[in-house]
Amino acid sequence: MSTMMAGRRTSTLITRSTIAVLAVVALAMPMLMSDVTFFMQMVLAAIVVTGLSLLMGYAGQASLGQGAFFAVGALTVGIGTTTWALPPVLALVLAPVLASAFAAVVGIPLLRLRGHYLAFGTLALLLMVVAAMNTFDFLGGSFGIAGIPPLAVGSFEITDPRDYAYLALGCLALVLLISRNLINSRFGRGIQALAGSETAAASAGVAVFRAKLTVFAISAAFAGLAGALSAFFTPFISPESFPASRSFEYVIMAVVGGLGALWGGVIGAIAMSVVIEVINRISTQPGLPATAGPILQYAAYAVLLILALLWMPRGLISVLHGVRGRLAAMRT
Amino acid sequence: MSDFITYLVSGIALGCTFALVGSGFVVIHRVTRVVNFAQGTFAVFGGFISYSLLDGILPQGLAQLVTVVACGLIGLVVGFVAIGKPGTDPLIALIVTLGVSIFCAAVFITVWGQDPVSPPGLRGSVSILGADVQRQRLLVVVATLLTFLALSLFFSRTYVGKGLTACASNPRAAALVGINVRRMGFMAFAVGGALGGLAGALISPSVALSFSSDLPFALSGFAAAVFGGLTSPGRTLLGGIVLGVTGQLVAGYLDGSYQTEVALLMMLAIMVVRSSTFVTEEAK
Repeated sequence: MSTMMAGRRTSTLITRSTIAVLAVVALAMPMLMSDVTFFMQMVLAAIVVTGLSLLMGYAGQASLGQGAFFAVGALTVGIGTTTWALPPVLALVLAPVLASAFAAVVGIPLLRLRGHYLAFGTLALLLMVVAAMNTFDFLGGSFGIAGIPPLAVGSFEITDPRDYAYLALGCLALVLLISRNLINSRFGRGIQALAGSETAAASAGVAVFRAKLTVFAISAAFAGLAGALSAFFTPFISPESFPASRSFEYVIMAVVGGLGALWGGVIGAIAMSVVIEVINRISTQPGLPATAGPILQYAAYAVLLILALLWMPRGLISVLHGVRGRLAAMRT
Repeated sequence: MSDFITYLVSGIALGCTFALVGSGFVVIHRVTRVVNFAQGTFAVFGGFISYSLLDGILPQGLAQLVTVVACGLIGLVVGFVAIGKPGTDPLIALIVTLGVSIFCAAVFITVWGQDPVSPPGLRGSVSILGADVQRQRLLVVVATLLTFLALSLFFSRTYVGKGLTACASNPRAAALVGINVRRMGFMAFAVGGALGGLAGALISPSVALSFSSDLPFALSGFAAAVFGGLTSPGRTLLGGIVLGVTGQLVAGYLDGSYQTEVALLMMLAIMVVRSSTFVTEEAK
């Protein structure tokens, strides 16, 4: 018994030290890089995928259109800071609020759908948002929205890309903290029951529809926050900023990292981003045809997704857990 | 009036291809409970393969036939990947087929490049009620109607077709009378591949296809299949035609840029309205 307790304590210790090391590495990364765009994209993806992982892993609902909420967040910043002339900070705060409100409204009809119907329904939602951006001028039209001002607090303007990377890291930490508290709450246990069996969860007193809608809205808020940060970082948005393939990437990251685990989204985002970056480096080597890039990228995404789904259904995180367990066992 | 006829016929022709892709969804879903995201990919294969074959290798007609057979084989391979591992959950299989469709994008770019292609089809047009209608579009309609007729005969009269229907209605009972349900699942994927390939081979002379055309095909085919609750090929045909004609009328009389929105909205509306009838089947 005492060895088990000690084992668990060592295991917690290992987890905490891993997180500490990760945090230090993450904080040092922007300093070491000349171009933080790759790092920024990775952190933003981690924010979105953490939310998607909650939705897929805990509430058992797949979304192929998470980019729709990313787009709502980016549009809030784009339109808010230009057309409405809102203070940038207010637009940043408003973005996740509007994204989750949008999800709550469209979720009422959409979440009546389950499984593959919901997957297609959310994909249709994303394509409709993009089509609406193309059609309506107040959403930027096909030219998009340019001239988004930098994020500013009072007279202090954030212009250094590194500072945006740190802001995004802070947001990721916040998102992870919210997710952790959510999972460990009574509500969190309710939604975990939901993924197993909706009927059983309902009979145990879980308000099924409301629970699903809440998780959907929370995952949308995370995506909206990431969208807002990306709008400030880039500072330009157009309908082409939100391709369906990006939303598929989020699903791939969530699956590869491991669904239903707090850190699954982060690990998936890091793993896939690094793989794709390596492939980009390889495919831009001189002597390779211009099509090598997309070919290798598509193939890598597909192969990793299929392998993860069929042979590592609980994701990279379960592999890491295994290593941690073995380490803890060695220590005791 | 002649405008209206033009929109109507092109809408019906487009709707027929939606229905062909959609019937592929239906055939596969009925037997395996898997929604095959790569269904649009089969249509793109159909367009590309017929393009290559018509480039001096085979004559019209024979080229399309070989294309359909090849797409059936591709469907079989996709089936092996998607449901080859026993006990794969249908929703996981959906994401696996998403992976397959992404992989096929890499194949398309490797073999055929990134530019859209359009094989030669029937030339010229005929006059119907004062409107000029492309012969190729009429061919699409006729071929689709014949295919649906053949499909219904296949399911009701042939040994394999009856086996597929048995697996669809009750897999356990089908297994009890000695039908290999897994093998029937692969068979369903092959039929689905052939149907998707036919759709691509028929529409590509009118609408150029590229490596990224699979998504619009998959969505409109799925929308058509939802009309039939993902189980009825007949209502899928009806659904495809309704979608195609509505899209063309909206594009013609209102604004071409609303076409996508209208099609997607109709699909969402039908799914949500029909969702109460899905529940029995989807309930865990």
